[in-house]
Amino acid sequence: MPVPWEALIPFGLVTTMFAAAGTLLNVSKRAQNQGKPVRYHIDAWDEMMMDRDKRLTGHKRGQSTNPYAPEGFETSSIWYTERVETS
Amino acid sequence: MSIFHNPEDSSKPYKEPTPLPDDVPKVKELGTTSAPLKSAAFFIGAHCKEYNEDFMLCKNENRDPAHCLKEGRRVTRCAQDMITKMRENCLQEWDKHWNCLELNNHEYYMCRKPERTLNKCMFEKLTIPGTPEGQTPIHEVKRPVFTGVQK
Repeated sequence: MPVPWEALIPFGLVTTMFAAAGTLLNVSKRAQNQGKPVRYHIDAWDEMMMDRDKRLTGHKRGQSTNPYAPEGFETSSIWYTERVETS
Repeated sequence: MSIFHNPEDSSKPYKEPTPLPDDVPKVKELGTTSAPLKSAAFFIGAHCKEYNEDFMLCKNENRDPAHCLKEGRRVTRCAQDMITKMRENCLQEWDKHWNCLELNNHEYYMCRKPERTLNKCMFEKLTIPGTPEGQTPIHEVKRPVFTGVQK
């Protein structure tokens, strides 16, 4: 008796689409975080440190072990800057 | 009205309108980012305990930024000194530990294995923070409460 294999095509399609959407989401999140898993449960301290990382390295997940900060670090905090003066 | 010019797009360097007076010594800020700093936190705490406590007590007297500049410079210099020593002596183990932290949401309990090698290297070459009396060091606890996998 012939098996109705055409009826299983929608199941396969739905599974494939779930997998594709999940993979795309995961890849997109990892690409935004330089290939690392996303940071979760971020509190105010972590927000502050990630903002500091962005000022030091250019990306909020960038890391470096340099003991000295790069040139513009002392003045790049947005706390104090109301108006920018350029020379 | 005036157009907003984003300071990040400007071609000229930023000129600070109110620099500190020249009699204040200039100390470069610490350039270590969050994961290596969290990894080195206990070592910096052990190495720089006096300077950190000094700064904290000074701030306790008076929150004015100008009051504690000297103690703040000492804290920065001590931390820079410790980071330099760690880079010279234990760079590989330190790199492995903070890379592990970066992959695990900066949780210490997920990265005990690289932590053990880092602690061993730091114990042999430099200082190691002391454990409170009577307790085992956290990286040697036999059945920790928080683990990666529920046991």
